[in-house]
Amino acid sequence: MEIPFVVNARKDTGLFNSKVAIWLFLASEVTLFGGLFSGYLFLRLYADYPWPERTLPVLPGLINTAILIASSMTVVFAWAALKMRNWRSFQINMAITLLCAAAFMVLKSIEYKAKFAHQAVRLESADHPVLDFAILEGHLHKAEIGEDGKLHHAQKDDKGNYSDEAFYANKIIFEADEFVFPLSRHAYGGFVDTIIEQAQSQVVPVTGALKSFFDSVEKNKSKLGKKELKQFEAAQKKGSILSSNLKNLLEEIKESKISEVSDELMALSEYPITLAEDFKLYEIDEDGKRKELEKKNIPAGESLSKSVIAYAEKYFLKAKSEDAQLRTHYLKSAFAKRREAGDDRDGWQIAQSPEFLELQAENAKQIKKRSYSAPGTITFKAEKPLTLHLDPGYVITKDAKQLTLRDDTTIKGTMGDSSMFLAVDGIDFRFTAQRAEEKGIAPEAAITKSWVLKQPELKKIWDSHQEWLRAHTEMLDAKSDKKGLKGEDRYVPTDNEKYRVNWDQIVAYQNYDHKGIYDRAKATINNEASEKCLEKPGWIAGFAGPNHKKMSFPEVTIPRENIGFESTFTPKWNTYYAIYFTITGLHGLHVIGGMIVLGYYLFFGRKMYESNPEWLANRVEVGGLFWHFVDLVWIFLFPILYLM
Amino acid sequence: MSADSHDHHDDHHHELPFWQKYIFSTDHKTIGIQYGLTAGAFLLFGFFLMIVMRWSIAYPHEPLPGYLSWIFTEDWKARWLADGKVTGETYNMFGAMHGTIMVFLGVVPLGFAAFGNYVTPLQIGAPDMAFPKLNMYSYWIYLVGGLIMCGSFFFESGAAKSGWTNYSPLAGYADRQFVNQLMTGQTQWLIGLVCLITSSLLGSVNFITTIINLRAKGLTWMRLPFFVWAMLVTGFLLLLAFPPLEAAGIMQLMDRMAGSSFFMPTGLYSKADGVLDISGSGSPLLFQHLFWFLGHPEVYVLLLPAIACVAEIIPCHTRKPLWGYKPMVWAVIILGFLSFIVWAHHMYLTGMGPVISTFFQTTTVLISVPSVILLTSMLISLWGGSIRFTMPMIWAAAFLPMFGIGGLTGLPLAFNLADLHLHDTYYVIGHFHYVVAPGILFGLFAGVYHWYPKMTGRYMDNFLGHLHFWPSLICMNFLFFPMLTQGMAGFHRRWYNGGDAYLEKGAEGVNVFGLTVLDKISWNEVMTASAIAMAIFQLPFLLNMVISYFWGKKIENDNPWDATTLEWATPTPPGHGNFTFDPAVYRGPYEYSRPDHDEDFFPQWEEPKRSQSSETPAPKEETSA
Repeated sequence: MEIPFVVNARKDTGLFNSKVAIWLFLASEVTLFGGLFSGYLFLRLYADYPWPERTLPVLPGLINTAILIASSMTVVFAWAALKMRNWRSFQINMAITLLCAAAFMVLKSIEYKAKFAHQAVRLESADHPVLDFAILEGHLHKAEIGEDGKLHHAQKDDKGNYSDEAFYANKIIFEADEFVFPLSRHAYGGFVDTIIEQAQSQVVPVTGALKSFFDSVEKNKSKLGKKELKQFEAAQKKGSILSSNLKNLLEEIKESKISEVSDELMALSEYPITLAEDFKLYEIDEDGKRKELEKKNIPAGESLSKSVIAYAEKYFLKAKSEDAQLRTHYLKSAFAKRREAGDDRDGWQIAQSPEFLELQAENAKQIKKRSYSAPGTITFKAEKPLTLHLDPGYVITKDAKQLTLRDDTTIKGTMGDSSMFLAVDGIDFRFTAQRAEEKGIAPEAAITKSWVLKQPELKKIWDSHQEWLRAHTEMLDAKSDKKGLKGEDRYVPTDNEKYRVNWDQIVAYQNYDHKGIYDRAKATINNEASEKCLEKPGWIAGFAGPNHKKMSFPEVTIPRENIGFESTFTPKWNTYYAIYFTITGLHGLHVIGGMIVLGYYLFFGRKMYESNPEWLANRVEVGGLFWHFVDLVWIFLFPILYLM
Repeated sequence: MSADSHDHHDDHHHELPFWQKYIFSTDHKTIGIQYGLTAGAFLLFGFFLMIVMRWSIAYPHEPLPGYLSWIFTEDWKARWLADGKVTGETYNMFGAMHGTIMVFLGVVPLGFAAFGNYVTPLQIGAPDMAFPKLNMYSYWIYLVGGLIMCGSFFFESGAAKSGWTNYSPLAGYADRQFVNQLMTGQTQWLIGLVCLITSSLLGSVNFITTIINLRAKGLTWMRLPFFVWAMLVTGFLLLLAFPPLEAAGIMQLMDRMAGSSFFMPTGLYSKADGVLDISGSGSPLLFQHLFWFLGHPEVYVLLLPAIACVAEIIPCHTRKPLWGYKPMVWAVIILGFLSFIVWAHHMYLTGMGPVISTFFQTTTVLISVPSVILLTSMLISLWGGSIRFTMPMIWAAAFLPMFGIGGLTGLPLAFNLADLHLHDTYYVIGHFHYVVAPGILFGLFAGVYHWYPKMTGRYMDNFLGHLHFWPSLICMNFLFFPMLTQGMAGFHRRWYNGGDAYLEKGAEGVNVFGLTVLDKISWNEVMTASAIAMAIFQLPFLLNMVISYFWGKKIENDNPWDATTLEWATPTPPGHGNFTFDPAVYRGPYEYSRPDHDEDFFPQWEEPKRSQSSETPAPKEETSA
């Protein structure tokens, strides 16, 4: 059997099969992207926050546009080369097409990566007239708690490593004493894993008894294994060690008989979480009575593990199931009794009748006697407080003494300092201004009360910005006067200019006293001698964004109660980034798909070229049509995401 | 038989290994049967879910009886039933999955994919689909998608439970307590859906290409059987309407997995979680628009294959040309176009505004015109025919009034004023179930009885057929007609306990039609009994399929119904490559009882005698490349 019109076109339609198919496929792709584009429109039109306009670096986007258009041309050249039976030219043009696609993806992934590493916080202050809603952008550096009890930028040692205590301060920190796990939500990995993992990686300071013990081991350290030696040396240097490493090290010291290890020392390495009280199991004996199953009980003191939870959970479900069977049986019998007694009303009427309720009350007594009544939770205790770092998204409710996690796990203990430590490279009051206007408050008045301006370093930047804005506004006024513009036609600063301080501005303002900014801004606008001007980033730096390794930015500690919402610049941050990632991600997948198909023709097409070059040309034509479509989508994406 | 037929069939002689012939087959007929059997299994499963729900509606205080609960393990019962009774949560889960399974995994694959695959290439004289391998992938992706969706019944979270429409923010929020969001029913539903859309995309591209490019010599557009036209339009609906839902599915997946807020409004609060940790500013209405942009064309994707089957069966079993073939073709094309601009009539109550409602009300009323043309043409086709009451014809005949009820009860819903009252009541359920169950399913049953002889070489048994048909007809009406009156009395479609909780609050509350819930609540038990009886009377059909395959009456020749379309020109069952000669077409599809012809049917492929100069000869062109 042979399918007709695979290679040659059918006369009355003028098309070969795959050409019909690709046009149909592209039609469906149009509606797929159409759905996403209308999503963009909908979200933008109905956004209740200031839509981020022109936030993406335009230049790489523009380069990508050029790259895709170029590749759309070379793919046609490749097809034409095949039609002319010029294999070499086909290879060259197709290779250029693929290189273009690869370059596109590289630029795209650089853009993505910057977003994933960039943090944003929407502030919230209960006493602010519009709840603040100022936005800080920045970079999370590893932080340490200094001697003053405050968060500081963590310093690297000479090898370029952070100490064990250094952490990214964006989590909820909690000193946990007690854990109450629900018994039905742990399948496929609940928070038990996280807790066990963190219990093994607590930071143990090398001080006191441990320090003197380490010093005593120092001279025999050559007897340690390679891995342990490394851990030992690192601990000496940093003055701290992770509990799991310490345990491993102490055991090695004990085994290789370098030194005796006391139980007190061993205890330093352990953060045991143990069952608070016996988890009792029951069975129903032949007489229908509840009886304790002592041998299978989980005794108090059993340490927390996934398998203990699974065991308890399994029993809980079994008991629940037995109880359900029992109650089902009694319920059925109650209905049967009523119907035998001649009650022929509808079920819902029987269920409300006093006779039925009486029967059920009687049954309840029976059920109580024979029920397993398994507890729905299991409680573990930490013998010494365990420092947990929890993702804020997983914590539903928090107060000073207790946390509830999303899966109903309850943790008791003491709330730690869960502040965020952020190097600020963007201040944005547009949301504050919008909310103030909605409430009929002057935006400037609302901004003045923001938490941001209570931070001296940020206040200084904001004051500098006002100076710059003054110079900028004067420039716009002069421009309007020159053109003779009146009323609404006059140039005014945009919201972006008024309410947002960008990273390059922060860099420029930081070096000078804010009072001098006005003159410098004037000088910059008038293109005067360079030493008086504000620094402007070069175009490469403009494309790469804030470089936290080379530039310094003001660092602030944001208390947890002032964090309204926080995220990196991922789909979570707002609907703009959601649609940006979704639509460009899907487009990227199309680019990759196209690369695979076109690459297949380039690298594995030779055989077909020799046997049936026309067929290969058809395939390249169809692949090329798809490639044009991918290009076309980008041509629509570039303006709506980068320029508008 | 043409002289060059041998080069089409030279690979007929070597047998394919079992797995290639029956499992990973690229033959459109095998794939069609695979689709049919799989869809049938899904339909039975969806039917079972519905019976459990109906039990809960009729007997909300009583545990599920043994014949319904035996399928569940004790663990599952402990998790999802309360003392053996169906809980609201479980009812929602079953409801969501009943709808999903019936629409996406049952009726569409059965109507479009199974019948379309088996019959379309045969009717256009093609050796197979244009892309046989793509066809195979299409089936397997469908199966995987279906299994992913149903597999989530075994998860800790249970299967999806936010309705078959999966509205956000409910669907974006559901199962949020689970740490691993990937392994929740609600997420798996979306992943399954993306598979199903991919499958239907491959299928529709394949169908349309096949119909455009692989028609036999002489098979011009207006000689295409109506079945093929309907499949062409259905293909376009699937091609263009499904992708926006895929976009919506991807966005909802992002909402669930990446924490975005496409469909999540600002300030969303839940009792368990407080104010959610999301950015907000999303639009729940956007999801509804994208969903119903598919959702409404989907109705015609369900319907057209059934109409297609009936339109083939009526001329053949009444020995009379299809009345109004050309208007029907135009009607189905217009129907296809209009179906893209009626979607928001599902959303009158969302507050999208009276202007938009008025627009969609107008288009919705307009679309009833082509629908009525289709139904009326088929009805008039019966007039003056010599009807043979064979099994397919009986089902097809029942389709007409049943679908008629379904269609006409839809009219009040088209008007947004009437819809204000009827929306979300059992009236809506009654309306669309009349369309889908006694309508579409009857049409498809007719198709099974009609083409079974071509597939197997044997007729289906008549006695079992009648034992299937009559009780099904009666049960269907006892099940669905009361829904219409219950709906007018204000029965809400999502009451898992059938309305008794409502009774406690306001038993005497009189509705605008003067009907009360109290009046109509006893119907619940009748309806549930009908549903159970209907399940029992599907057994004769299942038996019939198996028994007739082995012991049924053998057909006398390759064209047992004396039909005119090309599928009957093949050997029975058709081999790989279908035709043993090079098919050419000389006339329209329904040339029955022509006075100038000796027999009462004149097949499309029969060469005209020289004297019949009015016949157009097939154009002389090469069919194969």
